[in-house]
This record gives sequence, C-alpha cells and structure tokens, in this order.
Amino acid sequence: MEDHLEFVISLALAQGASYAEARYQSDYSESNLLKNGEPEVASFETKKGIAFRAIVNGGLGFGASNQMNKRELRSLVRKVVASAKQAGRMNKVPVVMGQGELGQAKVDIRPRVSFDAVGLDGRLDLLQEADRAALEAAEAAGVKLPGRYLALDTLMTEKVIINSDGAKVYSKVPRVALDMFLTAFDPEKGSIQRMLNLGESSGWEGAERWDVPELLKAEVRSLASVLLKSEAAKEELGDVVLGPEVVGIVSHESSGHPGEADRIMGREAAQAGETYLKRDSLGMKVGSEVVNVVEDPTLPRSFGFYLFDDEGVRARRRYLIKEGRINEFLHNRETAHAMGGQSNASARSVAFNREPIVRMANTFVEPGDLSFDELIEGVAYGTYIKNFMEWNIDDRRFNQRYVGLEAFRIEDGELRGRLRNPVLEITTPGLWSAVDAVGKDLRFNAAYCGKGDPMQAIPVWTGGPHIRLRNVKLGGSG
Amino acid sequence: MRAEDICQLVLRACKAQGVNDVVVSVAESEGSMVRFSNNEITVVDTLMDTTASIFVNDNGRRAGTNVADLSKKGLEAASRKVVEMAKRAPAATTYAPLPQGPFTYDPKLLDSREVPSDPRSLVGFVKEAIDAARREGAERVAGSLVADNGRYTLQTSAGAFAVARKSAIELSLRAFCAEDASGHSVSVAGSKEDFKPAQAGEEAGRMAKLSLGPAEGEPGEYEAVLGPLVFADLVNQYARSASAFMVEAGLSFLTDKLGQRVASEAISLTDDPTMEGTYGASPFDAEGLPTRRNPVIEGGVLKTYLHNSSTAKKFGVATTANAGLVAPRPFNLVVGEGQRPLEEMISSVQKGIYVSNNWYLRYQNYQTGEFSTIPRDAMFLIEGGKLTRPIKELRISDNLLRMLSATKELSKERKWVRWWEVEIPTLSPSALISGVRFTKSKR
Repeated sequence: MEDHLEFVISLALAQGASYAEARYQSDYSESNLLKNGEPEVASFETKKGIAFRAIVNGGLGFGASNQMNKRELRSLVRKVVASAKQAGRMNKVPVVMGQGELGQAKVDIRPRVSFDAVGLDGRLDLLQEADRAALEAAEAAGVKLPGRYLALDTLMTEKVIINSDGAKVYSKVPRVALDMFLTAFDPEKGSIQRMLNLGESSGWEGAERWDVPELLKAEVRSLASVLLKSEAAKEELGDVVLGPEVVGIVSHESSGHPGEADRIMGREAAQAGETYLKRDSLGMKVGSEVVNVVEDPTLPRSFGFYLFDDEGVRARRRYLIKEGRINEFLHNRETAHAMGGQSNASARSVAFNREPIVRMANTFVEPGDLSFDELIEGVAYGTYIKNFMEWNIDDRRFNQRYVGLEAFRIEDGELRGRLRNPVLEITTPGLWSAVDAVGKDLRFNAAYCGKGDPMQAIPVWTGGPHIRLRNVKLGGSG
Repeated sequence: MRAEDICQLVLRACKAQGVNDVVVSVAESEGSMVRFSNNEITVVDTLMDTTASIFVNDNGRRAGTNVADLSKKGLEAASRKVVEMAKRAPAATTYAPLPQGPFTYDPKLLDSREVPSDPRSLVGFVKEAIDAARREGAERVAGSLVADNGRYTLQTSAGAFAVARKSAIELSLRAFCAEDASGHSVSVAGSKEDFKPAQAGEEAGRMAKLSLGPAEGEPGEYEAVLGPLVFADLVNQYARSASAFMVEAGLSFLTDKLGQRVASEAISLTDDPTMEGTYGASPFDAEGLPTRRNPVIEGGVLKTYLHNSSTAKKFGVATTANAGLVAPRPFNLVVGEGQRPLEEMISSVQKGIYVSNNWYLRYQNYQTGEFSTIPRDAMFLIEGGKLTRPIKELRISDNLLRMLSATKELSKERKWVRWWEVEIPTLSPSALISGVRFTKSKR
C-alpha cells in the first residue's frame, strides 16, 4: 500500500503541488441491532480507499477513491491538482501547512479478545441477555419497557498516512461500541426515555468489562424511579451538582467546540457554526480557578484514541481551559500556520473519503480532590443532576441547555426527593464561572461528535468528575 | 466489472447457497464539493466511489453488507460471508418475501440530466453566490456547494431490475454583516436549470444586512412565523417519525396516531419521490418497488406510516415503497401550499417573532415530541404586522405535536430546502404558529 501512496504523492509533486498527502484507510465494521428483543438485519462492511490532498498555488484540493488501481489513482491526482489550482486562483490568502511534530511510527493496538473469537452468536447472546435483564428489572420496578433499542458495533480501523513533508505513520486500532435507547412507560405517569452510549478502543474485552446486563438493570431501575417517584422541578435559584455524564457533554460542547481553531477562522461557519472565542482569546477568563478542561487523544482504551493524527502529527494532552482561562486551541497544520502556532494534532477524518478536519478526541474536566459526598455536604439547598436527555447549544457555543433526567433535591447536605426535568439553560462563561468545587471521580461516556460537510460523526469520549456550581437559576419541567 | 455483471454474479453466488431473497445494488458516483469561507475557497473535494450492497433474507434470517472490493473474488467472498451471517442469525418473527417483479419504472425518473461537476464551473457558481451576497451588504460568506452525478443499478432475486441515473446539485450558504448578523439560504435542485446560486446569495446577504444590531430577545410565548428552513426541519421530524421502524423503536411521536389529527387542518404532507427533476426523486425503493406518491398527513390527519415489505407485514398493511432494507425512509417531502403570500401572513401578526433558520434540534422525549431547537441567523420581532427589530439569543422549547397543531396558516410561497440541519429534501412554505414558547439562558 505504501507504494500506492508514494506513487500519488510523487505524481502530485511532479504536477506542481507544493504539498501532497496520501492516506490509506480501511474500516471494517460489524453491526448487530436488537429492537424490542428481536434481531434486526445483521451487517458487516469494509470501507477502504485512498484519500489524497494537495496544495497547488495556495489552493487546497481533496479527493478520494475506493478503486485503488494506478489508472484510477492517476485520474484522482489529476482531478485534485486541477481542483486545487482552481481554488488557488480565487484565493488571496494561500493555504499553507504549518509546523507540527511529524511522526514516522507504527501504532498497533492488539485486542485481548479478538472480535472474530466472539462471532455473531456471542454478540446476539450478549444483547439478548441484556434485553431480558432489562425486562426483568422493569417488571420488578413496576413499569413497562415498550421501546428497547440495543446496537452493538465492532470496528477495526487501519491507516497508513504519508505526506511530502516526511510523515509516515501506520496505525491499527480496534473499537467496540454499544448504543442503547430505552423507553419506560407507566399508564398514569406517561413515558420517559434514556439514551446511553458506551465505547472504547479495545477488543471484545471492552464489551465484557461493561457488564451490559447489569448496566441495563441499573438503568431501568433508575428510569422507573424517575417515572414513578419524581416531582416536577420548578424554577428556582440554588446550588447545582452535575454528574460526570453532564460534565462530559458540557466539556465537549462548551470548551471543546469553541476551542476548535477552524471555527475561530470561520471555516465551519455555514455548517457547525463559529465560536464566541477569537484568535486573541488565549488567556481570557471564562471560568473559576478550579476549572481545568483537558483534551487528550492519548488516553489508553479511550473511544477517541490516537497517537498520531491524520496529518501524521504526534498527539499530546492539551489543556483547553487552565485555571479558568482559555489556554490552548485545537489545531491542525493549516489553522496552526494561519494563527501562528504549531499543530497539536487535532486533524481527524472518519473514513477514507473524508477530509481530515479539526476534531476533538477525549474531552473532560480534570478531576479535583473532593468525594461526591463532600460535594453534596457543602450544599444547603440545591439540585443534583446526574444525567440528561435533551441538550443543545447555539452555534457560537455560548447559550446552552441541558435537561436533567435523573435528578435529586439536595437539602442540608443530603439527597432528599427526586426531581423531574430540571433545566439548566445558561451561558458558557456563566456555567464555568459558577463552578466552586471539582470531584475526584473521573468517568467517561462515548459519543459520536458531528461536524464537517459531508457530515463526519467521529468517536469521542466526554467525561469528568462531579462538579458543584453555586447560585445557579434552574428552570423547571423541561 | 460492469454494475449489471456485479449484480448477476452476486445473485448467482447467494442463490447457489440456498437463500430465497437477495437484493444487490451498485452505486457508482462521482461527486464534487466546494467549501468556502471568508469569501475564499477552503477546499475542493473530488469523490469517486463505486460500492455494491448485498442484502439477503433467508426466511426471516437477514443480513447485509456493503462491498468495495468489486473483483470476482471479492464479490464471491462477500456473498459467501453475508449468506453465512444470515443463516446464523435468529429468524425475525415476521418474514415478508421481496416484492415480486418484474416492474415497470417511470422512464423520466430513470434518467436525469447531468449537472456540471467540474471544478471550474463549481467555483464559478460559488463566486456568483458570494458576489450576490456581498452586493446586498454581506462582509463575508461561507458555505458549501455539492454536485453529484451517479448511476444506480439494482437487481433482486424476485425479478426486479433497474438502472437509474441521478444528478443533484445543492448550495448552502451563510452571509455575515457582523458576528451576530447573518442570513442563511439554500438552492437545492435536480437540474442545472433549477439551480439558482445568485438568488441564494442575494437572499442570505439581504437577511444578514437586515439583522444588523440585534437586541436580546425576551423569553415568552409568541405568535411565530417560521421561515421555510425552520418549518422544513419540523416537517422532517414528522416524516422521520412516520417511518414504521421509528414507531416500533419508541422513537416516534406518531405512535398509535393513525387516522388521528396530528397537525392543524392547514397542513398536508406528502412523500413524493415521483416528482421528476427534483432533488429527492427516485424511481425505485431499496427492494426494487417502483416508488409512489404517499400522502402522510392530509388536512392535519395522519394517513399512513412509511413501510418496507417487512414492516408492512408486521403492521398488516401494504408496503408504501419506502424501503430502506432496515428502516423505511422518506425520499422527497412536499408540504401543501397556503393561501396567502408570506408578507400578508406577517401583516396579520400584532406581536410575534420571525425565525429564518434554526439548528440543533434535540428531543426530551421522542414519544411525546417535547424538544428544543435554537434559532440562528436573522430573527426579528414582528410588531403591528411588520418586521421591526432584529433580535437574538432565544431558544424554541416546545412540543412538535402542539406546534403543528397550532399552525394557523402556511404561506403561498414554497422553497426546496436541504442542508446540514435538514436531511430530507423538503418543499416547504413558511408557517404561522400560535403560542410558540421561546426560552433564554438565565445567566
């Protein structure tokens, strides 16, 4: 395969490109879906092909083909070079690839339990056992479960990335993911729904570690309690403790996305939007001093794991917010050059036929040193929002809304009754500035982050420990 | 190997292993995309892709795959594996055989004319759009233009066979006069003749200019006029929810509502893939059935769910030719037009809000339709029947069933909409809706 990649790069350089980059990517996936206990279509797929980028006269062209013979690749290079020239003619500001620590390396993550060893039977057995466990838990809790949607995916991604600046990186990473959607129902109380995503970069051992049947039981018990025992939240001022799942989505939406340099430059303006941050926002205070938000692709087993990005740059931990101040943006080589810095390895692409763009990997609030009990003990009157269902944020990443699913009243340092649908509708600096304490119990959830055009839903982890916010106004009843 | 030969080879290979139902399709596409921002070209994409899809159903044991290795060896291996997977899979409770062909397809839907996809033409269209927006006062413009010419071949073990050529071109752009003053517009077409980049640029630029200096909006319940981009998003939610798969999965607010009123009398929604020359036109569904015009909502009443053969059998009805092999899906949505022009509709509103665009729609509960979404780009206060002041930073937090039931009227003008937020192409009017709940950040 390296021959093919070297071939397209040398062709492009000969045709006048100042930069050329070729990536072979193969994604093999198997998917199983159990809907209300019944298996849907089982499927497998190999997506593989060559992606190619070139800069010619300051214009950037990208192309991809899944037909990897030399005739097709010649045609691809010709078209991409012509496109890049066309783009360059209209541009006053040339595209330039900036500095970054380019790698020559091999990353091979070996599954401890291979996906092949499990087979279709093992996958379906797991889903069916989990489904039965959910039904049993529902019966014991006195609710119905009319909607049960369990999707299990295993993926193996293999990449070879070579560019004309000297990067040469091979990687092979397995991933396993489970998406769950549950609807609990009571004839008097109505329905309630829960969406949960698990995922990690590992072999089948990841799915074993989750103990899906027990997890489903716990989720169903929680849903039943929310449905049968909670009182509608009302609008009020108080302290708020957010659970790791909520802290994860907040970190992703309100720190990760606003810190993407391509948004700052307006490159995503018509799709995923822009950001309230500017080129000169580094150092800006957006939160209290206990807030540290980290982005780290190198976490072992993480769903967003990589050691080299899709431009061949070595990955490292990034502090997006440090002690409450904007500390670093997420850059690929293009944005790094435009903003006068170095790439911090944020270029990712979801498949061979997608352009590498600035993405998050694993975004989370760095843990502090308080236990959950200590956080709660410090609250005279407030709300604990453990997880959420509805959320969104504006395209400048400034106004956001999280509607709690499992939530509790806190009084005199103790959890009392259950609350339904408390609404946290707040600005980004408003949220981060209200944080006065950070727990030590770091946990992660998986997600597929949507960005780009065509859309690239890319695997990430979102996470954090429990955090406490002071004097926040909550809305009620969704 | 030619697409027709691929279909034959896979059919033979799967049937030789004793499977009754096989669908093979080959998608050959050559697409180009120009992305632009800050009035310049960000990147030009060239995407060449040929993929075969195989679906087998062995008495309710179902499996599917997409294959990129189109060599004889690769196709035979994929055929073997997909049949093996199906034979090991547990049987679904309902088995519906594939629709029995051969079928006759509308020749006008089988052969759409190519759209320009060379970089010079596409960059030219982008320049037209940017220039038009800037003439209206926009300082910077961003967006994407996609042109695609594809050939789709489908053959089933039940005698269906068709080859269709499909072309489409779409532009989505956003013009800015300031960081908080922007307008968005689209041009979505199945032919070059219907593609209007300058018109889209002009509209986005004009909206951006009008929205300069927005004040913070006040939360509350308002009469709201939702522009075609916003109403198309709401209608997309209805069409998604009408898929029998979503109904079964607990992901639909239309569950148990067949024959009931789910919207106001003003609203009729049809899925119409038979509209020649439109973006979402399609001669056949994924099971090879000729597509048809399916009224989904008529006068506010839910008339049908969208089905493939399997879901139809489960629900005890006939398929609506909306397969999706896993989930039935809408192709091309058409909302019936209203009586009055938009301007007259706005003139009837004493105090309200005009929303030109939205994004990030998320549900609190898919079964009840509780949701929120965020207005973006130009938004105006309506006072005394006129757009008076631009406003910003509000959120629509409401219920879809309530909103479409409280729709007082639709505009006479309609526009084809498809962009990042609106996946299914939709011919959408603007809508006047009572009591829309707007909320706002509290700190």
